[in-house]
Amino acid sequence: MQLLLYGVLLTFVVFAALAVAFLRDILSAIIAFAGFSFGVAIVYILLRAPDVALTEAAVGAGVTTVLFLLAIVRTVRPGGDRLFERVAWGPAIIATGLVGVLLTTVRSLPTIGDPNSPVASSEITRYYLENAYPQTDVENVVTAILAAYRGFDTLGEAAVVLAAGLAVLVVLRKEVYV
Amino acid sequence: MSAADGSLSAYVESTIIMTTVRVVSPFVFTFGLFVMFHGAESAGGGFQGGAIVASSIIMLAFAFGIEPTREWLDDSVIRLLVGVGATTFVGIGIGALAFDGAFLEYAAYGISHGVKYGIELVELGIGAIVAGVIVSLFMNLAGGFNHDSGGDDA
Repeated sequence: MQLLLYGVLLTFVVFAALAVAFLRDILSAIIAFAGFSFGVAIVYILLRAPDVALTEAAVGAGVTTVLFLLAIVRTVRPGGDRLFERVAWGPAIIATGLVGVLLTTVRSLPTIGDPNSPVASSEITRYYLENAYPQTDVENVVTAILAAYRGFDTLGEAAVVLAAGLAVLVVLRKEVYV
Repeated sequence: MSAADGSLSAYVESTIIMTTVRVVSPFVFTFGLFVMFHGAESAGGGFQGGAIVASSIIMLAFAFGIEPTREWLDDSVIRLLVGVGATTFVGIGIGALAFDGAFLEYAAYGISHGVKYGIELVELGIGAIVAGVIVSLFMNLAGGFNHDSGGDDA
């Protein structure tokens, strides 16, 4: 049952990704991209990573799609009635080669839920799982690591988001900062 | 897309969309706040909650038009939100120094469950930054095409 669900979802995700690459109409490609993000978000939920799934669904499927839509409002649709883009063979061969190389590493990934996998048996993982609640009073270990143990990294992330926002304001010349 | 004239004519008034958004957006907004506040106990946190809160605002802009939304929610309010968020995060970090702790050492404040409250506040700060930046990205991308597509030097 679980296997079937993974199969259906992953097939959907791969086809959505191919649709993004090959659809000629940008609007269709953006919608396919939203579908791709949504499929990936559900895969994350199945893999028990709800924090990442929430981010993927909200940012990947939601906000990014809206920003892309805004960006293409001013562009023009390419002419012609073709549904799909012509395949550019050079980049296609390079991409296929890269995928092939990456696929060779799949064999060395640990199986899902393997108790002997390096991450699960690592001393650091055990330390966080044992100490996160007593030390921080926070039940979600992910939050404890992000905001307490790795608080400085998270500050950096927030600064990156802030800088990106400011950069867009400057580029669009909404404000004069200099 | 045929919206090549000066105004952002992509907006079409639709009763169905307006009614749906009017019903749904308060719930989305509340859910975003929940994800932000409850990030310590369940899945979620500032980044996710902020994105959801921002999407409820973007939803309003989609339904009622970008200009009315901008008039209702002024740019300076959003900028203030981002500033307050960033100041909260950095302030909590520096505040710990005043209590003889390390930067961002929540335990230094000496309140019971201080670490937890520190984490919650930091998450709220992140939420404010993320929500504000996403909304202002949206508004400025939309408005930027609207007014000065020429190269007027400010």
